[in-house]
Amino acid sequence: MKKVLTLLSAAALLISLNAIDAMSARDYISIVGSSTVYPFATVVAEQFGKTTKFKTPTIESTGSGGGLKLFCAGVGAEHPDITNASRAIKSSECKACFENGVKEIIEVKIGYDGIVVANAKSAPMMKLTRKDLFLALAKDVPDPKGGENLIPNPYQTWKDVNSSLPNQKITVLGPPPTSGTRDAFVELAMEAGAKEFGFIKAMKKTDKKRYKAVCHTVREDGAYVEAGENDNLIVQKLDKDPTALGIFGFSFLDQNADKIKGAFVDGVEPTFDNIADGQYPVSRPLFFYVKKAHIGTIPGIAEYLKAFSAEATWGPDGYLSEKGLIPMPEAERMKFAKDIQMLIPMECK
Amino acid sequence: MNPLHLLIVLLLLSSAGYYIGRKKAFAVAGGAQGIQKLHSRPVYYGALTAMWCGIPAIAVVAAWLAFEPSIITGLVLNGLPDEIRSLPDGMLNLLVNDIRNLVDGNIVSAASDPMIQQAADRYAHLKLISLTSLTIASVSLSLLALIFIRSRIVPNLRARNQVERIVRYLLIACSMIAIFTTIGIILSVLYEAIRFFQTVPVTDFLFGLKWSPQMAIRADQVGSSGTFGAIPVLAGTLMISMISMAVAAPIGLMSAIYLSEYANRRIRDMVKPLMEILAGIPTVVYGFFAALTVAPFFRDTGDFLGLSISSESAMAAGLVMGVMIIPFVSSLSDDVINAVPQALRDGALALGATRSETVRQVVIPAAFPGIVGSLLLAVSRAIGETMIVVMAAGLSANLTANPFQAVTTVTVQIVTLLVGDQEFDSPKTLAAFALGLLLFLVTLALNVIALVVVRKYREQYE
Amino acid sequence: MNKMPQPTESSVGSCRSRTIDIVNRGLKRRYRAERRFKIYGITAIALSLVFLALLFITIVGNGYSAFRQTEIKLDVYFDPMEFKDKLAADANYLAIVKDAMRSLFPDVSGRRDKRSLYGLVSTGAAFQMRNMLLKDRSLIGQRIPVWVPADDDVDMLVKGHMDRGLPESDRRLKDKQLAWIDQLAADGRLHKAFNFSFFNNGDSREPELAGIRGALMGSFYTLVVTLLLSFPTGVAAAVYLEEFAPKNRWTDIIEVNINNLAAVPSIVFGLLGMAVFLNFFGLPRSAPLVGGLVLSLMTLPTIIIASRASLLSVPPSIREAALGVGASKNQMVFHHVLPLALPGMLTGTIIGMARALGESAPLLMIGMVAFIVDIPGGLTDPSTVLPVQIFLWADSPERAFVERTSAATMVLLAFLITMNALAVVLRKRFEKRW
Repeated sequence: MKKVLTLLSAAALLISLNAIDAMSARDYISIVGSSTVYPFATVVAEQFGKTTKFKTPTIESTGSGGGLKLFCAGVGAEHPDITNASRAIKSSECKACFENGVKEIIEVKIGYDGIVVANAKSAPMMKLTRKDLFLALAKDVPDPKGGENLIPNPYQTWKDVNSSLPNQKITVLGPPPTSGTRDAFVELAMEAGAKEFGFIKAMKKTDKKRYKAVCHTVREDGAYVEAGENDNLIVQKLDKDPTALGIFGFSFLDQNADKIKGAFVDGVEPTFDNIADGQYPVSRPLFFYVKKAHIGTIPGIAEYLKAFSAEATWGPDGYLSEKGLIPMPEAERMKFAKDIQMLIPMECK
Repeated sequence: MNPLHLLIVLLLLSSAGYYIGRKKAFAVAGGAQGIQKLHSRPVYYGALTAMWCGIPAIAVVAAWLAFEPSIITGLVLNGLPDEIRSLPDGMLNLLVNDIRNLVDGNIVSAASDPMIQQAADRYAHLKLISLTSLTIASVSLSLLALIFIRSRIVPNLRARNQVERIVRYLLIACSMIAIFTTIGIILSVLYEAIRFFQTVPVTDFLFGLKWSPQMAIRADQVGSSGTFGAIPVLAGTLMISMISMAVAAPIGLMSAIYLSEYANRRIRDMVKPLMEILAGIPTVVYGFFAALTVAPFFRDTGDFLGLSISSESAMAAGLVMGVMIIPFVSSLSDDVINAVPQALRDGALALGATRSETVRQVVIPAAFPGIVGSLLLAVSRAIGETMIVVMAAGLSANLTANPFQAVTTVTVQIVTLLVGDQEFDSPKTLAAFALGLLLFLVTLALNVIALVVVRKYREQYE
Repeated sequence: MNKMPQPTESSVGSCRSRTIDIVNRGLKRRYRAERRFKIYGITAIALSLVFLALLFITIVGNGYSAFRQTEIKLDVYFDPMEFKDKLAADANYLAIVKDAMRSLFPDVSGRRDKRSLYGLVSTGAAFQMRNMLLKDRSLIGQRIPVWVPADDDVDMLVKGHMDRGLPESDRRLKDKQLAWIDQLAADGRLHKAFNFSFFNNGDSREPELAGIRGALMGSFYTLVVTLLLSFPTGVAAAVYLEEFAPKNRWTDIIEVNINNLAAVPSIVFGLLGMAVFLNFFGLPRSAPLVGGLVLSLMTLPTIIIASRASLLSVPPSIREAALGVGASKNQMVFHHVLPLALPGMLTGTIIGMARALGESAPLLMIGMVAFIVDIPGGLTDPSTVLPVQIFLWADSPERAFVERTSAATMVLLAFLITMNALAVVLRKRFEKRW
């Protein structure tokens, strides 16, 4: 028995030692960042790895903040070359980057991601306005009895919010406050809805902080369920619970059109074309950032950028659109393609 | 020869040392009949020789390999022109990466500069020199040690004591790893936690009854500020752990008792590993199971009974987590129960006790410390579990005693805060570190209490 | 033992038969309790086995279909024109595949229709052509039948995961595509074959090309490191603490420490790994070596606690006997106590390793939650592990990843069961009851 054990461990030791010797330099692109950009960046990386002589880039899903933290830690082979982000870089992050020696960053917008409100196929079609969304989901809403004071959200059913909506309990499964999807939703849907109340809009000029607090704070009494970032899970939960609505990225609606349907927002259905031409109001840009210093020393970065900005990739007929990414308008694509070609770094605001 | 081959050679030398040492011991004792003249059994002389042969040489190799890259890099860089050497660190690092890629024959970045090529050649050359000298140095060290120790082998060399001392040091070193890990954990969360407490007062964090990190993600959204009160999060952790222990402890313990006391060997051999599989199923799978099967079941039952049960309930998450940790209780308890001397059982049975009475009043008390250990492990696992709660219980931090409401746990919050999209220096991200530290301290306190309690009970049966 | 029926003083004095009466009177109740106790045990085991079966049925039910993949037979013509004036590796293989598709349905016209026609085969088909040709240059100018993987939507339809009855707008496949697929099936150009790519490929964003080889290798390397580090260290630490260490404040601190480490959430170990192994020691990101180091720190407490419990359960008489015949303390521990405690230690190790095998959270911080296509060849190559792969697939929008998620779980479980079986064999060799 002892002999078997010794032999086994010796074999395992040998295997592992054999591999340690391969400790070597990095010859592949290292990408980190947002889990929202991940499904798109990975498609490009895979194509890139298959069609060029370079290795396939590794893409970590760390979240935008975590990605930028790693990205901004410094220049050198142990730091990532590119970070994906579902929001633009912040000036404080840009400064942190600069202090750590990451002085030149190229910003690339890759397209848009529509944020949809959806429910089960079996449930009634929801035709919402952004005002409905605000009233249903905000923590404090204008007193329904009139007047310019805010009271804790009293609405329990959609019918309470708007008499044209079905009489069912408000249950919305959505991302947590740490998520960029939530941030964009709050800003694009709820804030816009809140603005329809004159006195809230006026607040923007007089008390900006309060204005943002009113628009951006989501109720916490159970009607809005923070359901984590696993959008597939939300889709399946919606399928099991026809009274619930969910908030997630367009690509999940696209793939699950047989189970769920997107709610109209301000009379516009969330379809690919409606989001692309800007009719559908809730969509946000996606980005990635490149360290200029790494271009030319880590093999393949320039080629990867070129592959990403090809029309066949991010254009209206490109393969990213098949995965649910909404392409930028042509002028914008040209601008970013040019930035990439000339390697023009962004300015830190 | 590469470092791997070198290591194999050293290991072979070391095992050769074992036989040489043993042979010498027999020789000085004057053959197998004379071994009682030796201070220790011959194997100890062998082991001592092997240790002397192996340990110093391998230590040299390890140290050499640890410092080799930086020394060679330094030498190569020194050979480069000044304008390159004055580059900032990051750029130098990239350059070195390029050189190493060239040396390893990997794909390199487009530009193939003759200077870089030259540097790469130099790098490869230095690496060869280094390896050759390392080989000579370590092998000769090993041989020298072998010769030296062989000459020292005499009948009254206290070989066993020396071997045992070395073994003792190794054991102590291994048990110190736990301490270093703890220090490492504290250090790696402390800095960020302190930064968090600079923006959020400690008292607010510790005694706040509301957890709602709704803080603006970008600076231009002045937005709502977050409240970071850790009590609801801790309470959620506690509730879910308690529910899961309420499932795992009885099921696990009864299974353990049945398996070790009642079941015949064939059944035990089959069932025990089967149950251990439960601990290895990825938590994502449990998460889906909890969220899509168990939670809707509770909700529908609640609707049927006219109760309002959240579709993200602590109950669903806790139950499923309880299933996951059953093997922690059952397998470990089974082992310790099985290890209770048969004589104790026989004694009780001979006095006329039934089997269950024997188990309850003799076997369990005797196995008590081990059982407590297994329960502690199970609780620990429940506290540290993340995925199931993320999927089934959600992220809403309700301070509630109702197990059918949604709660959240410390681990869930840590994960969501760490992988969020918010800026990395915002209190939202830093709160993750503070939570980690807090959980660490809370479990530490619980463990101290557990130690005291266990010690009190254990003394009764020793 | 206060519950055992004890003869009272008076009963002993007055009549011997009364003791047996008391015993007999209680006997029925005690036997009932005995039966109840036994039933509790059986129920407990049955419950856990039912849970296990339930989980297995769910996983296998969802995942078994992923082991077969729908394929389409194309008549591929390697047109010499395509290979003129360029390297064979750079030829437009996509065009070759498209030509083959068009030749099957010559009457399809219009950009949109052609696009949806080409969408029926996987994008991997072109790479398959490329690999075929690079292996055998003589194919140029030949027309040969080849089975290529179908697109994941076609695969889902063939496997019955897509409902034809839905209105066209709600389906991923449109009416025309359905007609083409039906025609292909009628022509015998559509079949399901064993999904080799699932076992041979690394990760991919195309479900029909995605495989677990990379994650499997990553898990293997990571676990080897974990096992090699945590088992010997854990046993050594337990032996020291239980057998050698003086019982004083210092060892109390170590003990509390270890118990506490067992409760530290795994992601915190990830933070530790990032700070120590990546930032301080400068080891590469996403490497199984670092993953193994982090996971072994994580499993150490489990192994130590289990090992200590099993050392504690070795009866003192064994130790006393060994010491009594003149063994040194080391000899007593290593020759007598340790072998007897080994089954329990192995149990702790199995459970710890099972956890390490299923863990994904700490790997997030050290870069192993990543999209990695290339199969890792060593301890420092970027790689991911099975549970992470499962987690990433579970989060992918494509429907076809659902069955692959379950299939990957099945592979993980197979891995786990093999590991357990090995340990069980070992455990049986050592186990002893005295």
